[in-house]
This record gives sequence, C-alpha cells and structure tokens, in this order.
Amino acid sequence: MGGVEKKKYERGAATNYITRNKARKKLQLSLADFRRLCILKGIYPHEPKHKKVVNKGSTAPRTFYLLKDIRFLLHEPIVNKFREYKVFVRKLRKAYGKAEWTAVQRLRDNKPSYKLDHIIKERYPTFIDALRDLDDTLSMCFLFSTFARTGKCHVQTIQLCRRLTVEWMNYIITSRCLQKVFLSIKGIYYQADVLGQLITWLVPYQFAHNHPTDVDYRVMATFTEFYTTLLGFVNFRLYQTLNLAYPPKLDSKDEAELRAENDEAYAMDSESYLEKLSALSASLARVVSSSEEEEVELDQFPVEGEDVEQLEARQKEQLQTEAHKKIFEGLKFFLNREVPREPLAFIIRCFGGLVSWDKSVCIGGTFDVTDETITHQIVDRPSLDKQYINRYYVQPQWVFDCVNASLRLPVEDYFAGVTLPPHLSPFVVEKDGDYVPPEKLRLRALQRGEKPENAESSEEEEDEEEDDNDEEEGSDDEDLDEEEESDERNLKKMEQQRAQGKALPVKVTAGKVKAENRARSEQEEQAEEKRLAIMMMKKREKYLYDKIMFGKKRKVREANKLAAKRKVHDETTKAEKKKKKAKK
Amino acid sequence: MASGTRKGGMAAPRDGFLSFKTDLNPSGPKNKKKKQLNKNKKKSWGKHSDVRDVEEFLEDVRFQERTVGGLISEKPDDSLFFVDAGGERRDSNLDKDKPLQDDVILQPDSRIPAPTDVSSGLDSEKPDGSRHRKDKPLRIDVILQSDSRIPAPKDVLAHQIPNAKKLRVIAQRAQQLEARGVVPRQQRLLQARLQRSLARKGKANKPAANNDPQRGFYDLWSGAAAETADPWYLQQTKKMLVKRPARLNVKPSTLPAVEVPAPGASYNPDFLSHQALLRQGHEIELKKQKAELRLERQLAFPKEQIATRESVFQEEVEGLIEDSEDEGPHDEYTPQYQAASREKKTERQRKWERQLREREKRWKALRQARDRQQQLFRLRSLKAEVLRQEETTGLRKEARRAKKLEEESMPRRLGKLKYQEPDLDLQLSSEMAGSLRKLKPEGSILKDRFKSLQKRNLIEPRERAKFVRKHKLKYVEKRAFREVTL
Repeated sequence: MGGVEKKKYERGAATNYITRNKARKKLQLSLADFRRLCILKGIYPHEPKHKKVVNKGSTAPRTFYLLKDIRFLLHEPIVNKFREYKVFVRKLRKAYGKAEWTAVQRLRDNKPSYKLDHIIKERYPTFIDALRDLDDTLSMCFLFSTFARTGKCHVQTIQLCRRLTVEWMNYIITSRCLQKVFLSIKGIYYQADVLGQLITWLVPYQFAHNHPTDVDYRVMATFTEFYTTLLGFVNFRLYQTLNLAYPPKLDSKDEAELRAENDEAYAMDSESYLEKLSALSASLARVVSSSEEEEVELDQFPVEGEDVEQLEARQKEQLQTEAHKKIFEGLKFFLNREVPREPLAFIIRCFGGLVSWDKSVCIGGTFDVTDETITHQIVDRPSLDKQYINRYYVQPQWVFDCVNASLRLPVEDYFAGVTLPPHLSPFVVEKDGDYVPPEKLRLRALQRGEKPENAESSEEEEDEEEDDNDEEEGSDDEDLDEEEESDERNLKKMEQQRAQGKALPVKVTAGKVKAENRARSEQEEQAEEKRLAIMMMKKREKYLYDKIMFGKKRKVREANKLAAKRKVHDETTKAEKKKKKAKK
Repeated sequence: MASGTRKGGMAAPRDGFLSFKTDLNPSGPKNKKKKQLNKNKKKSWGKHSDVRDVEEFLEDVRFQERTVGGLISEKPDDSLFFVDAGGERRDSNLDKDKPLQDDVILQPDSRIPAPTDVSSGLDSEKPDGSRHRKDKPLRIDVILQSDSRIPAPKDVLAHQIPNAKKLRVIAQRAQQLEARGVVPRQQRLLQARLQRSLARKGKANKPAANNDPQRGFYDLWSGAAAETADPWYLQQTKKMLVKRPARLNVKPSTLPAVEVPAPGASYNPDFLSHQALLRQGHEIELKKQKAELRLERQLAFPKEQIATRESVFQEEVEGLIEDSEDEGPHDEYTPQYQAASREKKTERQRKWERQLREREKRWKALRQARDRQQQLFRLRSLKAEVLRQEETTGLRKEARRAKKLEEESMPRRLGKLKYQEPDLDLQLSSEMAGSLRKLKPEGSILKDRFKSLQKRNLIEPRERAKFVRKHKLKYVEKRAFREVTL
C-alpha cells in the first residue's frame, strides 16, 4: 500500500461549508456587523445535508454558511466601512470619556457612512426583480412608519419610512392598481397589480403597539435600512413611469385649494407638506402637465395562437378591470371622526371617489359635512343626531366589500346601526366542490347581474314576514329542490286519487308528437359514452378513477354538511332575534 | 525672601501695581514707635521683621490673578476698556428679538443665491437633525438677560445719539461706497469665510446617512453605470465589484413573503370559517397540552417506587436481622472447559464429502441453465415484471420529488434552536367586535414579520442573550438600618 494517507474532512462537503464564527473571523467583523452584512447582501445560512461530516465529526448544532458566499462577501466595500465605523465609535467613546467636546464635535462631523445603492443594483439587476421582492419591503416600511418615537429605533428611520409609504400610497392612487383589501384581526392586507406583478402588503391598524420582547430589533432595523433604500428607488422609477414629479408634489390647483382651506391651523410649511401628501386627498403634479387625460382607444390585435373567442374573453376581462377601477367614480364621501381615515381615504381615492373629513381629524379635507353634494357619509356609530336626507350613511365595511366585489354593493346592508354581513376574505380561491358561504354565493349572483330577492339581504323584512307566516325558507335552497318537490307533489296527488277511488281514471287520448329535444339527446349520448368508457377501463385505471370520484363526492358531502350547519346556525340566530323582538 | 522668588518682575517696583485695596492698609506700622531690636541673628530677623506689606501685596496679586486672570497693569488697554460707540445705547436693555451676532454674520448678504449643496438636503442642520452648537444662544447671554419686572430707569441718552454727526457721515460714506460697488472690508472678509467653509463642505462631499428622511433617490436601473476607468486597472487594484453569483438570487424558501391569514381571521368573519379557525387553534392547543402531559408523565415518580410502610420498615431493619436463607449452599457448578477432542477424518470420509460438493455444484449449474432456458418462455411475464418495477420506481421518484418540494417550503434547522411556530392569532366569539371602531387588533405584526423571516430561512432562530452575573451578589447590612427580624 503506497500513497499519501487521506485525511478526513479535507475534501467534499466539509470544505464547502464554514461555520458562522469562522466566517466572522475571516471577515474580521463583530457578530452584529457580520449579521448586518449578511442581511444587506442577502446571504443566508445553509443547512448542510450531512451535518456530521460538515461539522468534522461533531454533532453540535451550528450555523453554517457556504464558503463561496463568504468569499464573495470579502470583496464587499461595505466591510471596510463597518470597520471604519467601529474605529469611529471607539474614538468617540474615548473623546467622551475625556470630555473633549471639540474632538467629539469633529468626530461627529466626520462620521463614516455608507451607501446601499450598489448592493440594491447587484441584488436586483432589473426593476422587475425589485418589484417582485416588494411584499416584504412594504410590510416592513408600513410597520416601522407606525412606530412611536420612543427610542426603539431611530426617529429618522421612522420618518423616512413614513415618507416612502406615503409616496407609495400616492402612486397606487394615481395608477389605480389596487385590487383587494382584507381587514383581518392583525392588520389590513392589500393587494395591488403593479406593472403586472401582484404585490401583497400588510398595514397595521393605527393603534399603539405593544413592543414584543422576543424580537431582535437590531435585525429588523437592518432589514428596514435595506428596504427603505430599495423602496425609494422603486418609488422613483414608478413615479417616472407615470410621468409624476418624483419628490412628489401636489398638483398646483389642489395645493392652492388646500392652502386656502387651512393655512393658519398648521404652522410650518415644510412640516405640513408631508402631512398634506399623506392626507391623500390631492392629486400629484406631473412632470409634463397633461391637460386632460386623453383616452386613446388602442387597436386590438389577436395574439398569435388565439382565436376569436379568447380575444373576446380577454376584452371582456379588460372591460371588467376598467370598470373595477372606477367603482367610486362620481361619488363623494365624507368620513366621520370615528372611522379610520387613512385606509378609507386611500381606498376611496384608489377607485376614483372624492373624499373629505372633519377639519379636526387631519389636514387636507376638501369639503365640509354640510356639503350638499356628498353622496355617502361613512359612520361607525349606532345613531346620529343630525342626518342629511340626500346621502347614505354607511358603515366603513361597505367600502372594503365594494372593492372586493368589484361593484357597488347595495347600501341597505351597511346602513348605520345595522348588523353587518360578514367581511369575506378576497384572498380565498374556491375550487369547485368546496363549501362556499351563502354570502359569497349572493355576491356572485350580484356580480353576474342578477337581482337577489328577499335572501339574507333584507333580513329585517324577512323577519317581519316570518312573524306573520312561518312557512318561508331560504330561497336559495328552494330553487335547487323545486323540481324534486314538484315530482313529489304529483306522486302524492296520484296516491290520494288512488286512495279515494279505487278505479283510476284511465283514458285513451290521442298521441302527441313528442318533439325530440336535441340537446337532451346529445347529453344523454354523452353520458352513455362516459358510462361505456368507465366500463372499458382497466382495473388499475378504474381504481384510480373511483378514488378520484370518491374524493370529489366526499368534498361535496362535506360542503353539504357545512351548508346544513350554516342553515342551523342561521335559524338559531334568527330564533334568538325573534325572541329578543318578542321581549321588546 | 519668600515673596521675591515667585516671579521675576513681581517684587520690584511697588508703584507699578495698581492695588485694589489701597485704603485697607493706612500705613499702620508708621504710627507706632519702632522697637529697637537686635537683628543679628536669623531667628530674630524672622521674628521681628515686619512683612505685612509684602504679604498684602502678594495677596493683592493673587486676587487680581483670580478675578481678572492676570495683572491688570500688564493687560492691554483694549481688553479692559471699550469705546462706547453710543449707537447701541438705544436698545441696550437686550431685546429678545435681536438675532444673535453669529446669525447675522452667517447670513449671506449677496444678491446671488448661494450654490445649493447637492449632497445634503439641509445646510444648517446636521445630518442627525440637531441644530449646530453655534446656533444656540450663548449661556452667558441667557444669564445676562434681565428678568426683573421693574422697567429699567429711563435713559437720558434714549433720545439723543452721541456722535450722531460722525455716524451720519460714516453712513453716508458707506452708502456712497455701496453705490460705487465697493464692499466694506468686514463684509468682504465674512464673505470669504463663508465661501471657504462652503468649499470645504463641497470637498468632503459626505454622503447623507442612509436613514436621512430627506435623502434623494435616482433612477437606479436606467442603464449601465458609466465605468470610466480601465477595467484591468480596477480589477488589479481590487476596486472592481465582483459579480454576484446567480445561486444567491435563489430564495431559500418558496414561501410567500406575506402570508394572508385564513378567512376566519377577518375582523367580522363568516361563521363557519371562524369556526374552522377556532378548531385549528384548538387542535394546536390540544397538541401542546398532550406534549406537556407526556412530559409530566415521564417525569413523574414511578408508582412502584413509592415507599410503603413495609418497605420503609424493611429499609430500617436492613442488616439488623440476619437472613439465614441467604446463606444457602451455592451451586457447585463450574463450566468445564471443553477441549477439542475430535477425531481426525478418515480418507474415505474426505473423499465422500468432496464428491458431495461436486455433485452439488454440478446440480446448481444444471439448474441455472435450465432456468435460463425456461425464461425464454416467460418473456411476457418478465416484461410485465419489468414494467411493474419501472412503475414503482417512478412512483418513488415522484414521491421523493414531492417531498423535496415540500421541504423547500419548510423552515430549516439553521442553528442551535429550532423554528417555533408562533401562536395562531384568533379571536374568540366573545372577543369579536361588531364594528371596525370596536376592533381590538390581535397579535403583533412586528413579531409576525420577524417570525416570517425565520420561517423563510432568512435568519436563524435565536434566543435573546441572557444576562449572566459575573460575580455573586453579596448581602451587606448597612449600619444605618438593619433588617427587621421577628
């Protein structure tokens, strides 16, 4: 046996990975700096496949990075900046300790800082890449912008986040690309279609946070630092695509109006500008002032491999989206003090409505409560003392549900003081056979353009009706069962007749020519074919087929079960209501 | 003399000093008749010589040093006195509206707008937002501000300006000069200073901090950055940015960044979806409880080991009572060593065995050949067999791929700790708010985001570093009070 002895862990997986501590030492950074660098550069730990091999025989749990990644980090210019910053902090501490205030001042003036521009360019080579990663960015920025200025993070970071999110909201308003809103118990989920990318983000409610203790604020702040830079560049580009001036400017016309409204209430001009922007009530100034929006009808060309039907379907879809964008066009909203102003103003403006609010709520309200042209007033209190006759008083959920249903829902269900219908999640996509709540069924009917009759919509009326005669049931179910019932009725009639007179009234009548129902026969033929095909199946295929069919049936069964449950629930609630009414 | 050694010029001419306390010392010793004393000894010199005047003088010097910071006589005149120009008399009682001298100086008075600083949004404000030290009023000014309610006595000079004529002439002259376009010297100097400071700021060209709320952005993706220098030079001097490997752009998890909660988490949910969410939460809780119970059961003291009265007694008398049974006779069995006591095989036996082996071999070969031949007739079933095998491998492959796909969305074990799923956010039916106004948000979004980052393998789960006390605390009773013990 010749040759050099092969040593363990000198080839293979063991050499591809590096532990966190070793990586840190290689980069000569502290753990905090190393973690920051990794977040900024988008380098994440790996779980090796064979841990024991990588860990050189030890089974202690460790964090591993790919060695190549760390080698890549070695080239990063920011690493040097981190080191500089470390030295800066050391010097500053020393100067403070010695009470050398001029030295402190000098050091402060020369505080090292770094830019993340090149990292963003490197991580997102194209603009679309950046757009795809915007979910996280937006959620984080919106979150940080709601933080109280209590020293959990830099005040400047909060301010920057606020500025960027306001810019983003203004963009969404101008481009009208919001699609879905979901009010959950956590926060508000929005979805927008920005340049063909679906972007979902989460906005917290405007209440005080309780700061959780098990969250590493430093890590979050680092992510935010990166994301703010990214969002800034994305905003710039988005504004450019719409021909808007980038540090967003209010339209001069709107601005003049706003100034006339309340100039004395707010002191500083520079301060109130962001406030006015964040009020979301005024439109933004364009770089090239387009006099009026000229709508040019675009020529329609069929895409290759697309027939007329598909083209038509596409056109129809386009029309629908266009209609969706304008559901609040021509409406004038007034927000009462108790409703959350920002989300409502944002959504209403996104769909073309005009919105205003009380002067005490926020700057930027454009008209008063007394304005006669207001069509909807959004209230969230059981009763109002003064009501105008020519406007609807609706609860805020109406706005959200309208957006999700992409049509103006009937306002009756949402009047002030009325028990609201449930707020359904627009993010649920039902497959066929799934249980669909009745509210959703109704909504779909509305979307198809059908008029719902005395379903749950007019629950009050129905209740009254039921007081009189307790025979009506939910009409949806009736439609389904109608045929069966009629059959049964016939049968019963025949039976009764049989019981009454023993002899059946048998008569011979002239035969009629039975019109052959073509569609029906075709259907029958198809069914027969299917049956035969099933018969001809091989055993294995048959097994699979049966399995699939069983699954489908089970789904239907479950859905039916849920529907029945729902019915029971509805009935009990109704009974309770009736009891209450009776008590009254 | 002790006084003479302090400073060279101090002890010399007395009249050179301006004494503060001239009347304190009305030449006391002169009035008395001097005693005749012998001063032939050092001791008597020290005892009887009068050094009071010297002491006083030194005291005075010290006093001056203390109060004025040096000898008044040595100070230049303009540090002690000032020429009262009189013009400022009118508003001598420090009106508050008057801007600070610094502000006046720093105000640009040229008609040409100052060059806007592109690098920083704000000029006067520092990047961290705090105003410059210089901009604050000096503390001394604040102290000197009169805070008395009594108005200052009426100034006689309020209505007449001393040196009015002179000042008027000066002003006229200044006007003339200005008309001619001559800038006064003082202003010229100020301008120069301002220019210099601006130039310095431009030279440093510090980038604004990353979190500066006024920071500017530009079109990052507009096109390739113009790389002016030679790429070879850049590469060799390690200034070229290394290309990012494509592998880093793959996200470590396939999970979406923002997971929308189930429809039951709506603020005003549909009844059944809310029930479904509640059930989900309930199941999670059950699982947790089960694990807890299991742990408890495992850690519980085993029942059979609980001491009964007998066992306690048994333990107490252990060794006191001699057990006679134990002393019973042991088995005398000892395993004997079995020696190899086999006999040798005979030649015949060996031959027989060899024959057997050969026969076996031949038989096996024959069997194999026959089988092979037989397989020719089994072709159809063989084919089916192969097909079946392929199918099973295909299925396994599919399963493996599905598992891998699923694993890609699972949180990995990236460090010492495993990822812990956060609590499911839900509201009980009793907690639910009927309207948006009464809604109480559930859970923390910050935590949700943090957990999401962990779930997507972007950061490893960590625990907050625990505080470890280096040295033990010592309890000390103070003398002032003692702990009350009853």
